[in-house]
Amino acid sequence: MNSLLKSWLAGACLAAAIPNFAFSQTATVKLGQIEAQTGPNAIYGYMSSQGVPIAVDEINKAGGFKVGDTTYKLDLLAVDTRGDPKEATIQLKKLLEQDKVKFVFGPFLSNVFVTIFPYAQQFNGKFLMMGGGTRIHEFVGKPGNEFVIRTWNWDAGPKGFGEKMVDYLIKTAHPKKVAMLFQNDSGGKILGDIYEPIFKARGIETMTEYFEPGTKDFSPVLAKIAGFQPDYLFPGYSDAALYDIVRQSIEGNYSKKFFLVRGSTGPGLKNKDGLEDYIVYVPKDFEEAEKKEPKVKHFIDAYKAFYKRDFPYDQAPLCSSSCYDHVYMLVAAMQKAGSVDDVEKIRTTLLAMTYEGMWKISFDDHSEQVFDFDIVHLKKGGAKEVVHVEP
Amino acid sequence: MLQVIVGQILNGIILGSLYGIIALGVTMTFGITGIVNFALGQFMMIGAYATWYFTDLAMLPFPVAVVLAVVFAAAAGLIADQALFRFTRNNLVNGLLVSIGLISVMESGALLLFTTTPKNMDVVISGSWSLGAITLPRMKVVAFLLLVAVIGLTWLGLSRAWLGRATRAYAQNPEAAMLMGVPTKLLQTGVVVYSCALAGFGGALYASLFSLEPSLGGLFILKGVEAAILAGVGNLLGALVGGAILGVTESVGSLYLPSAFRDAYGLVFLVAILLFRPAGLFGSQK
Amino acid sequence: MKTLLCLVPLYLLPLLVKSDVVLTILIFTFVLSILAVGFNIVFGGAGQLTMFHAAAFGIGSYVTFLSMLRFGISFWLGFLVAVAIVILISIVIGWICFKFRLKEFYFAVVTLAFAELCRLVALNWTSVTNGTLGMLVLEKPTVWLPGSGVVKIEQTGPWYFLTLVSLTGVLIFAVLLMRSWIGRNFSAIRLNEDLAQTLGIDTFRYKLLAFTISNVIAALAGALYGFYTGYIEPAYLAVTQSLDAIAMVLLGGVSTILGPVVGALVLTSLPHLIELPAEMRVAVYGMILILVILLMPRGIVGLFAGLLKGRVNAA
Repeated sequence: MNSLLKSWLAGACLAAAIPNFAFSQTATVKLGQIEAQTGPNAIYGYMSSQGVPIAVDEINKAGGFKVGDTTYKLDLLAVDTRGDPKEATIQLKKLLEQDKVKFVFGPFLSNVFVTIFPYAQQFNGKFLMMGGGTRIHEFVGKPGNEFVIRTWNWDAGPKGFGEKMVDYLIKTAHPKKVAMLFQNDSGGKILGDIYEPIFKARGIETMTEYFEPGTKDFSPVLAKIAGFQPDYLFPGYSDAALYDIVRQSIEGNYSKKFFLVRGSTGPGLKNKDGLEDYIVYVPKDFEEAEKKEPKVKHFIDAYKAFYKRDFPYDQAPLCSSSCYDHVYMLVAAMQKAGSVDDVEKIRTTLLAMTYEGMWKISFDDHSEQVFDFDIVHLKKGGAKEVVHVEP
Repeated sequence: MLQVIVGQILNGIILGSLYGIIALGVTMTFGITGIVNFALGQFMMIGAYATWYFTDLAMLPFPVAVVLAVVFAAAAGLIADQALFRFTRNNLVNGLLVSIGLISVMESGALLLFTTTPKNMDVVISGSWSLGAITLPRMKVVAFLLLVAVIGLTWLGLSRAWLGRATRAYAQNPEAAMLMGVPTKLLQTGVVVYSCALAGFGGALYASLFSLEPSLGGLFILKGVEAAILAGVGNLLGALVGGAILGVTESVGSLYLPSAFRDAYGLVFLVAILLFRPAGLFGSQK
Repeated sequence: MKTLLCLVPLYLLPLLVKSDVVLTILIFTFVLSILAVGFNIVFGGAGQLTMFHAAAFGIGSYVTFLSMLRFGISFWLGFLVAVAIVILISIVIGWICFKFRLKEFYFAVVTLAFAELCRLVALNWTSVTNGTLGMLVLEKPTVWLPGSGVVKIEQTGPWYFLTLVSLTGVLIFAVLLMRSWIGRNFSAIRLNEDLAQTLGIDTFRYKLLAFTISNVIAALAGALYGFYTGYIEPAYLAVTQSLDAIAMVLLGGVSTILGPVVGALVLTSLPHLIELPAEMRVAVYGMILILVILLMPRGIVGLFAGLLKGRVNAA
């Protein structure tokens, strides 16, 4: 009897010592993220690589999410591509073949996407890649490419935010001539291709100049543009260049009216006393939204607590792509589809749903994201008007 | 039209002074320690970020911030010299590679501390001066004058002060200089530290004019090296002229030819000059 | 030549290792080794520091692909076109540099300037190169194998062997070259150019030869790289690519035969072995470079060779 008790006790102790998985039904779902965290183009991977871990952490701390009888936690595997297509190829192979990841967030960089695409296409049907890169537009929605979903809105087309921006510009300013100044890289080139026809279709005369990435002194090219005497200057494409362009354009007396579809309100606010007009597309004006939208305030507070640093208000709008909201949306899709493995089912569920997070996110029939956005209109002195647009 | 060209020539000269101060650092380092310190761009970056930090975050007056930034850059230069460059004297290739390694380390340091989000210092001197159709931002002109002053003082110091003359003696004939009692090790370290300080000063003024990113060093060191070679490595005032020529070529070139090729104009000019005057415009043929 | 036997285990590797990731890393290593070996011929062999090899690398990719596209020829014929163009460019640039007796530092800067010019051309000649958007390479090289006829190289396995065989070929060539009287002249120029001149060696001709050979090999690396990744962009011609190759050669051991390969292996696989936050990894990379230069000036292979010799002498 004693020995029976002993062996029973031993068995119980042993059982208690065995790690949790034998007793509770908690499993993990792996989430891969492939963005440029460092390197010259890190600014495009920055917000996503900041926002996703917060969502993952929140979900896991809340105990995970339930699909069916099983509770799942998220395991985030975030790799840094450094913007190097070679690195990205190796890392994607690791994620898909070694780690057997089924859901990948990213890439935002077009050159990375184009390089990993042929390899990724071999896994069509076995995983989902959700990235915001501009060039993804050429590939998404085509047969054989079901695995790819573009998590950003497209400038042109019926729900295109670019069209709406230009409409607003015409309504408020009636410009006759617009000068475009873009970076000489894929992002900049595509912007030129998209917007020239949009302006032309509305009878506005345009001129397009490209500058070398890394340029700091824009005086020569601004002087060249000044000869065209545009009503508005339309510069792109990332904040780094925009701060300098806006400042130098104002200081040098070249152009004081600006129209932007990339970048933030930062450059405008910094130069508010010198400018005359500044119209910018912002996925969300976080400073305003923090006061009015509880979900936004929650995200900002969570960010500050998680990273113990200031919230990057001017970069935050980029969290509209493969970021915080999308983690929750994916989880919701898995729950609605009732599976964490059935990639096709999750995909169709995801594409059919509308998720209300910081943004109201849905997808068009081209598998491209549609969401609400703000048009921020700054006037001289800093008077701000925010127009909310829901496509 | 003429006014536009004149405006761009002026702009190019101003920009060139920024290239020139880096070129001065390059030329001094090469003349005395026999290596090209490619990491000078990183010291410029240190100066820029330090200035931004002290002006915007610590709320110190701009001149104080600049002085602190220069001290910072010089201190960093001292550390780099004692830890690394001391072992690569006169070894061009090793010096090059150590510089490259140093660049990676310093740039990632900046990334860690400041992230890739660009920083913009609050404007120090706002407004512009206009003469007809030519408008020059006041801060740019002030920066130009300060840079020229510093370069000029350096040249003066090297030609008049004892230390300066000792440096030039060493550059011309190391053995003779040593025999005359010139403290060579101290001199070499001093030159490295001074050129880093110069770069830091350039960075401080850069911060008052442009946005800051951890990668700003890379562009300027290339331009600085080009300007130094254009003028003739070893020629100090020439560094300023070289920088100015480079700046003007770029600015005016961008007016008429595609601005996407901006960097090429300086390069083409450089190659052309080197073919006819291999020692640079002002260099002495050995 | 015996050192090349070290490559034999690499041929047997795919039998043991099934991980596609490892094979991919090795493919990149082999291709970049070719670039590094090419650089080592002109730098470790003839003593000339050039910054043009990245441009040759990029030109190799672009011209091979464009030739295939425009003329409908095979990969290898397209590559021959690339070789012809690279030789032409090398002769022009080399002639300019060496005729004007540009010494080490100036030679490096001028080759850098030319490389940058090539990159800017690739970036802005959009009608031909598609500029910054780059070009998608869907064609593949074909190889004639006994028994299977003409085979397309698409999967990881065939790519592994193609790149490994190419590397072996390049290494054998390098060894034979350096052992020949041409190679001895290179070494003479490297050790003391003025003395070599007085001894009657036409330094101009040999420097030009070394420069050209190095660029042709770089072009081969570029063609393989472009077709393997399936994407060609102007960044291939950037300074950073040249610097990476230099780092590989120095890390592995200048003037050694296997040095560039070892260096390429370490620098290609390193980012995947260090599990650190991204910014720290770049810092570590830089520190490794610095430490190698200061502590191991003869590189990894040089260090081992020294140790072995030391042991033999001690015994």
